[in-house]
Amino acid sequence: MSNALILGLMTSLFLIFAYLGVPVAFSLLAGVFVGSMFTDVTFAALIQKMFDGVDSEALLAIPFFLLVGELMGSANVVGRITNLSLALVGHIRGGLAQVVTVFSMFFSEMSGSTSADVAVISRALGGPMKREGYDPAFTAAIIAAASTIAALVPPSITAVVYGAVGNVSIAGLFMAGVVPGFMIGIGLMLYCYFFGPAGLPRPRAALREVAGAFKGASLPLMIPFILLGGILTGWFTPTEAGVVAVVWILVVVIPTLNPAHMKMLPYDFCLAGLIFSLPLITIGAANVFGWMLAYLRGAMTIAAWITSVAGNDPILIMLMMVLLFTVVGDFIEPVPTIIIFMPLVNALTAAGGINPVHMGVVLIATLAFGLITPPYGLVLLMASKFIGVKFSQALRAALPIYLVFLGTITFTIMFPKVVLWLPKHVIPESVGCFKNPSGPGYLCPP
Amino acid sequence: MSLGAKLVLESHRHLKWRAFDLIELVLMILCGILLFSFSATVVFDIVTRTIGHPWLWLQEVTQTLFIYAIFIGAAVATRRNDHLVLTAVTDALHGTPRILAEVMIRLVVISVSICLVYFGYINFLRGFDSFRMPSMTPIASLYGVIPISGFFIGLFSIEQLVNGLVNGFDHPQEVVDLESTAEIDTLAHSNKILT
Repeated sequence: MSNALILGLMTSLFLIFAYLGVPVAFSLLAGVFVGSMFTDVTFAALIQKMFDGVDSEALLAIPFFLLVGELMGSANVVGRITNLSLALVGHIRGGLAQVVTVFSMFFSEMSGSTSADVAVISRALGGPMKREGYDPAFTAAIIAAASTIAALVPPSITAVVYGAVGNVSIAGLFMAGVVPGFMIGIGLMLYCYFFGPAGLPRPRAALREVAGAFKGASLPLMIPFILLGGILTGWFTPTEAGVVAVVWILVVVIPTLNPAHMKMLPYDFCLAGLIFSLPLITIGAANVFGWMLAYLRGAMTIAAWITSVAGNDPILIMLMMVLLFTVVGDFIEPVPTIIIFMPLVNALTAAGGINPVHMGVVLIATLAFGLITPPYGLVLLMASKFIGVKFSQALRAALPIYLVFLGTITFTIMFPKVVLWLPKHVIPESVGCFKNPSGPGYLCPP
Repeated sequence: MSLGAKLVLESHRHLKWRAFDLIELVLMILCGILLFSFSATVVFDIVTRTIGHPWLWLQEVTQTLFIYAIFIGAAVATRRNDHLVLTAVTDALHGTPRILAEVMIRLVVISVSICLVYFGYINFLRGFDSFRMPSMTPIASLYGVIPISGFFIGLFSIEQLVNGLVNGFDHPQEVVDLESTAEIDTLAHSNKILT
C-alpha cells in the first residue's frame, strides 16, 4: 500500500472514530495502529513515541498553569476582577459586553486556558447580561470570542505546547502573543461600542472607586507579574514560574481572600491532577500520529506542494498555512493540530526564512480563531451551552466578530516587526538575536 | 459532602458498578498526590538551586511523578467520561443505532487499551536495559505505568460496555443552569482542552 493511502486510511479512521465519540487520544492511536499494520513500524515503537511525546520538561508548565486557573476560580477572585473591569469600562457603550472583554484580558493572563476563561466568564457575567436584556446569542458570541485571548497572551498553554513541540522559545511566543491578543481585545471592544447592544447606561466610576477596585484585585493581579517577571528576568523557566504562581495563590491569595476555601484544596489538587492529564495524553497520541505523518513523508509532500505554489515567499507561505490550519482547525482541536503538523511547520518555516516565533504566533492566532468557527468551534460551543442558546444562533451572532480575528491574523502576518518588537527588546535571544561579540547590544536577523 | 463523595462522579451512574467506585476514588486521590508531589519537587528544585546546593535527582523525580500522573489521570478519566471528544454525535442517536455506536466506541477503546497493556509491557521489559541519569534507575520504572494505565482503561471500558448493554446507554439530556457553579464546572471540565 502506498504512503498516501496509508496516511489517508489513518486520517479517515481518526476522523470517523473521533466524530463517532471515541476520545481524541484513542481515535488518534487507533488510526495509527491500523495504518502501521501496512508498514514495518512496530506497535511497541508507537507506544514508545507516545511516551516520548509527553516526556518533556517544558510540558510540565501545563499542569501548573491549569492549577493556577483552577485555584483562581476557587479563590473568590472572579468577583474582584469583575468589579475592576466594571469600574474601568462599565460606563462605555456596550456596558457588560465591554466588561466581558476587559475581564477576559485580565483573567487570560492568569489562566492561559480558553476553556477555563469561557467557564468563568459565563458564570460571572452570563446571568447579569441575561438580566440586562442582552441577546443570549450575542452574549455567547462575545464571551467565546473574548475567551480566545487566553490562547495568545501569556501564560497561553497553546504557546507552551507549540514551544515545547516545535523547539521554539516559549517566552518569545508569550511576548509575541501580546500584540495580537491586545488587538483582538481592543477590536472586540470597538465592535461592541459601534455595533453591539447599548446595554444599561452606567455612570463613570469615580477615581476612588477605580482605585478601590484595583486594590481589591491587587493580589490576583500579581500573578501575571510573577509569571512574566520571573520568565523575563531569567530567574525561572516557564514551568518554574507556573509553580511559583501556584505557591503565591496557596500561601497568599487564598488565605487572604477566601480562607474558608483552604479545606477544599485537596479536592482542587485531585481535580487539577485529572484535568491536566487529558490534554497531555492527547499530546502523546498526537505525537504518534505526527511521527507517522513524518515517517511516511506526508509532511514533506505537503511542504513540497506548498512551496511549489508559494515559492519561498514568507507571506504566501504563512497565508497558505493559515488556510490549512483554518480548515484543519475546523475539525481537530488546536493541540493535536500543532503536534501533528509540526514537522510541516518546521519545514516551511525554514523554506520561507520565517522567524519561528513569528510563524508560531500566526498559527496560534489562527487556531484561536478556529475555536469560534464551525463546525467544531469548541469555545463557541461551550459558551452557547453555558448561556443556553442554540449553537447555530450563537454562530450567526459571531459572524461579524470574525472580521476582528481576520484583521488581527492579517496584521500579524504582514507586520512581523511590530509583532516581534516586544520579544526582540525584552528577550532578544528568543527571536534569534545573539550578543554582539565586538560591542554592546545584540545582533538580530533581518 | 465529603471529599471522597465529591471525587467519585455520579453522572453516567447507569454505566458504572458501585464496586468500582473505590478504584475511581483511589485513582483520583493518586492524581492529587502526584500533582502535589511534583509541584513540591519543582519548588525544592528552585530553592536548592537558589541556595547553591542543587539536588540533581529532583528533576528525575519530578519527571517520574509527572509521567505517572498523566497515565493515571488518563485511566480514571475513562471511567468518568472526561476524555476530550470532538463531538457527541452518538448522544443524538437513539435505539439500535445508539447501541451500535456506543459499542463501537468501547470496542475501539478496549482495542487500544490491549495494545497499551501488551506492547507497553514489552517496552517495560526492554526498559531494564536503559538507565536514567543521574540515579541509574532502569527506565522501566517510567514505562511501567503504561500497561497499568492500559489495564484500567480497558477495565473501565468493559464496565461501561457491560452496563450499557444491560441498562441501556441512553440517559436524559442534562440541562445547564447558568447560576449553577457545579454544573458549569462539570461541563467545563468535560471539555477541558489545551487551548
